[in-house]
Amino acid sequence: MAGPLPSPHKPRRKPKKSSNDSDVSSAAPPATSRSSSAKPAYPLAAFLWPARSSVSQWEILPLILMAVGLFRWAAGLWGYSGYQNSPMHGDYEAQRHWMEVTTQLPVSQWYFHDLEWWGLDYPPLTAYHSWLLGKIGGIIDPSWFALHTSRGLEDPTLKVFMRATVIISEYLIYIPAAVIFVRRLSKHHGVNTWNAAIALTAILMQPGTILVDHVHFQYNTVMLGLVLASMSSVLAGRFMWSCVFFVLALGFKQMALYYAPAMFAYLLGVCVFPRINVSRFLGIAVVTLITFALLFLPIFLGAMYDTHRGIDARPELFGHAAPLPIFTQHSYKIDYTAWYYPIIQQTAQIVHRVFPFARGLFEDKVANFWCTLNVIVKLRNYPSELLQRASLLLTLAAITPGCFVIFVKPRKELLPLALATTAWGFFLFSFQVHEKSVLLPLMPMTALLAGNHGLSKNTRAWVGFANLLGVWTMFPLLQRVDLRIPYYVLSLLWAYLLGLPPTSFGVYSQDGNPSWSGFATATLHSIFYAAMGIWHVAEAFLTTPQGKPDLWVVINVGVGTVGFGICYLWCLWNLVLGSGLLDSSQSEKRKAKSQ
Amino acid sequence: MADLYPSIAQCAVVATAFKVLLFPAYKSTDFEVHRNWLAITNSLPVQDWYFEKTSEWTLDYPPFFAAFEWILSQFAKVADPEMLKVYNLEYDSWQTVYFQRATVIATELVLVYALHLFVQSSPAAFKRPSHAAALSILLSPGLLIIDHIHFQYNGFLYGLLILSLVLARKKSTTLASGLLFAALLCLKHIYLYLAPAYFVYLLRGYCLGPKSIFHIKFGNAFKLGTGIIAVFGAAFGPFVYWGQIPQLLSRLFPFSRGLCHAYWAPNIWAMYSFTDRVLIYVAPKLGLAVNQDAVNSVTRGLVGDTSFAVLPEITARTTFALTLFFQIIPLVKLFLDPTWDTFIGAVTLCGYASFLFGWHVHEKAILLVIIPFSLIALKDRRYLGAFRPLAVAGHVSLFPLLFTAAEFPLKTIYTIFWLVLFLLAFDRLAPASNRPRIFLLDRFSLLYIAVSIPLIAYCSLLHQMLWGNKFEFLPLMFTSSYAAVGVLGSWVGFLVVYFTS
Repeated sequence: MAGPLPSPHKPRRKPKKSSNDSDVSSAAPPATSRSSSAKPAYPLAAFLWPARSSVSQWEILPLILMAVGLFRWAAGLWGYSGYQNSPMHGDYEAQRHWMEVTTQLPVSQWYFHDLEWWGLDYPPLTAYHSWLLGKIGGIIDPSWFALHTSRGLEDPTLKVFMRATVIISEYLIYIPAAVIFVRRLSKHHGVNTWNAAIALTAILMQPGTILVDHVHFQYNTVMLGLVLASMSSVLAGRFMWSCVFFVLALGFKQMALYYAPAMFAYLLGVCVFPRINVSRFLGIAVVTLITFALLFLPIFLGAMYDTHRGIDARPELFGHAAPLPIFTQHSYKIDYTAWYYPIIQQTAQIVHRVFPFARGLFEDKVANFWCTLNVIVKLRNYPSELLQRASLLLTLAAITPGCFVIFVKPRKELLPLALATTAWGFFLFSFQVHEKSVLLPLMPMTALLAGNHGLSKNTRAWVGFANLLGVWTMFPLLQRVDLRIPYYVLSLLWAYLLGLPPTSFGVYSQDGNPSWSGFATATLHSIFYAAMGIWHVAEAFLTTPQGKPDLWVVINVGVGTVGFGICYLWCLWNLVLGSGLLDSSQSEKRKAKSQ
Repeated sequence: MADLYPSIAQCAVVATAFKVLLFPAYKSTDFEVHRNWLAITNSLPVQDWYFEKTSEWTLDYPPFFAAFEWILSQFAKVADPEMLKVYNLEYDSWQTVYFQRATVIATELVLVYALHLFVQSSPAAFKRPSHAAALSILLSPGLLIIDHIHFQYNGFLYGLLILSLVLARKKSTTLASGLLFAALLCLKHIYLYLAPAYFVYLLRGYCLGPKSIFHIKFGNAFKLGTGIIAVFGAAFGPFVYWGQIPQLLSRLFPFSRGLCHAYWAPNIWAMYSFTDRVLIYVAPKLGLAVNQDAVNSVTRGLVGDTSFAVLPEITARTTFALTLFFQIIPLVKLFLDPTWDTFIGAVTLCGYASFLFGWHVHEKAILLVIIPFSLIALKDRRYLGAFRPLAVAGHVSLFPLLFTAAEFPLKTIYTIFWLVLFLLAFDRLAPASNRPRIFLLDRFSLLYIAVSIPLIAYCSLLHQMLWGNKFEFLPLMFTSSYAAVGVLGSWVGFLVVYFTS
């Protein structure tokens, strides 16, 4: 990825000596030998090795962005979810259909149009995003998004267009956010630019996001990028901007709610500690409300304009009014002819579409607590209300400790851990979780690579473990659409670049000072990696015993749940350690050891 | 030198991951060509190999390549036996695609090994530049576009070429180098263009004494002679025995093809055709005769038969005379100074001459120049100055090979990535020359590189927007004329460097 570079040129900036972990990416040279004998500790460090000292980041950054872009585009050559899979197709068709709906129908009908065929069920920002992309695509070829006739279209040029929209959206949102976030976090911790470049590449090569967005097809990176932007605004101390970005993330995909409790606790925390700051609180509150208002404004205005023009949101009712989908029993109190009726109607419909309370506890096999519990106890036999309440209670129990810590110790460097902890809590215990939602806890956890000791063996081992386990639990989803090869290639490549199992066990070697925690990590991870490896062999070569067609998926779910539970505990433990809440002399010793 | 990072192996791993992701990418008819050859060699007796013509893509590579296909076909049986049926035209099950693509990646290991040996064999002071040059070849956009998307086995073949060039570095392995090159000729005869340089180098450096040309080393000459006869005997002997040589030669050298290939390779003849096009409009004013038949062939440049409206026709004989003439000039110097560096320079110049003046040159043949040149491009800054426009022109000229929308970002971004990375790295690694630099050449190459950006933008995007599907030959003509200027300029520049160092 890079050629050797001694330099006849003057370095643009002096390499920072102050950093406290400038050597974590290179094997620390023994004190007796000269420093020139240092060598990269894992392949990704080797690739950036020539850029160690004198290369300007304006040379290295474009190269990194081009390289990761090439991998994304090449991965996109493979099939997508629902490819040649009639009648319903998949996520790709959903996204394409939304472009069709938003560009061809009046605004008021967006959330009502033929809900059986991939009805719009994401918040308004996704609708606007689809509208924009649909408009652009319509210029290139109007047949791509023609009403009704374009359903299930599999034009290869359309595929190129759709792939390009994912990449462009990512390069406009996620990637700038990641670049700025890594720069701010590494500066905050005094990590040098070379290590920051390694962390950035590792974050951008994360196999999960590439596989879900660029291969399987979705626009998660837009939401994740907005959350990253929100986190990086926090790092810069711009709390109001952070609210704006976070609301936009929520407005793009409701999944960002996984982060909301921690984000809320943090922002509340900075208004209360060390002293109560009312003006900051008011500022945050007002900006949040305004952003929400602006987010919904186009829909409301559009709906009111449509009413004015005499276009009904539900033309299939021929002018009759239907009760609202939520608060149905109170619907009769509303005046259907009032000027504000479209607003209430749209809001109710959007909330109803975006939060499908009516559906079950879980839909598909997903590596969370409920799905695993279902193997032992048939949850179908319990009333759904009880299950929903149990789910709510357990989720609250899982997220409360993390939120509490970040509330009383609102330190910005703890935010990624806090977001990861609550996201794991949601993923494990809330209802209606999808396999792909594992990207949410993975994003802030992977961001730890850019932080203090981010590239040390311990952090790399844990971040790597979570990511590889995460993509592994998505394997059943991917292989259903014949995406085994990109799965293997991208996840093994990432493991190789970061020196992780199965390509190398270097992260677990403890040179010098062996510790119990290191030994426990190595044992624990080895068990999981072995399980994943055996599972892959079994899945590929053995047929499931009769009457248990889902055996492999069930095992996958079980192993995944336990592993994710461990990741949750690790994030929570590090959050507590980092907050200094345990700071007595004894725990300080422990902290020093674990890092 | 401990810090040669990233290592060749590390780059090979990451590049392999990328190439595997390219499995479903566009593949040209060459894919079907090679599938057909797998089928022919696997299912027919050797006597029929060069007569079989069910598919229009008949076997037109020398016998060793056919044998290579036969070996691959033994593994192909496991992947999907259907691909080995001669009548199964255009067969491309996913097993077939994965298998054929995988063989390209696997056989490219020869290149990895050859490059490793090249770095090992270079003197300590040149380890770092050599390492960078080796990586530039390994990650070459040319090989990526031609082999891993378009489909061919150049990585394997150029691997053997580099191996042979590296073996020529040491006295003890010169014989092996010569024999390996002979074997390479029996794999793909395009390397005949480089043979004059080998001939002179082996003659002067291996068969004649270092002090005087009248001191003939008969032992060496005998070893080399019998070795080469043995290699060619193994390849062509059976066909001589069956009396099939005329048929074989007609397959290997199809002279019925035209001067320029389907798309104009960026050489002298592309510029000649371009001039002719322009003259059609100018000639009446100058009172020159215009051949109306030629003017009417609107599809010019897209069909094999090129005929000229104003300028005189070019015969195959003319092109060969010119090629040979421009090959002999550098060979004189090689004869007088048979060092390895001069040898590589001479090989490069032979490649240049054949590419610029040859008959029916394909744009893929630019690798014949770029790859040997890469080995010495970092010798000093003057070499680099001549290499730079070639690197840009050569790779840009390959763009028309891929014309599908999905591959457009791959070819452009990858090539830009490679150019930025390696031109920056080379710039820092090439030592200053002890001779004054050629001012004009430096400025020329900078300007030249700058022009490539609007050119790519026009050819790939703007033209389509402005004209739709009209004048489709225009982007092709611009690309090849632009690239021809670069290749020609770098050739002249390198000639100067070669003769003054």
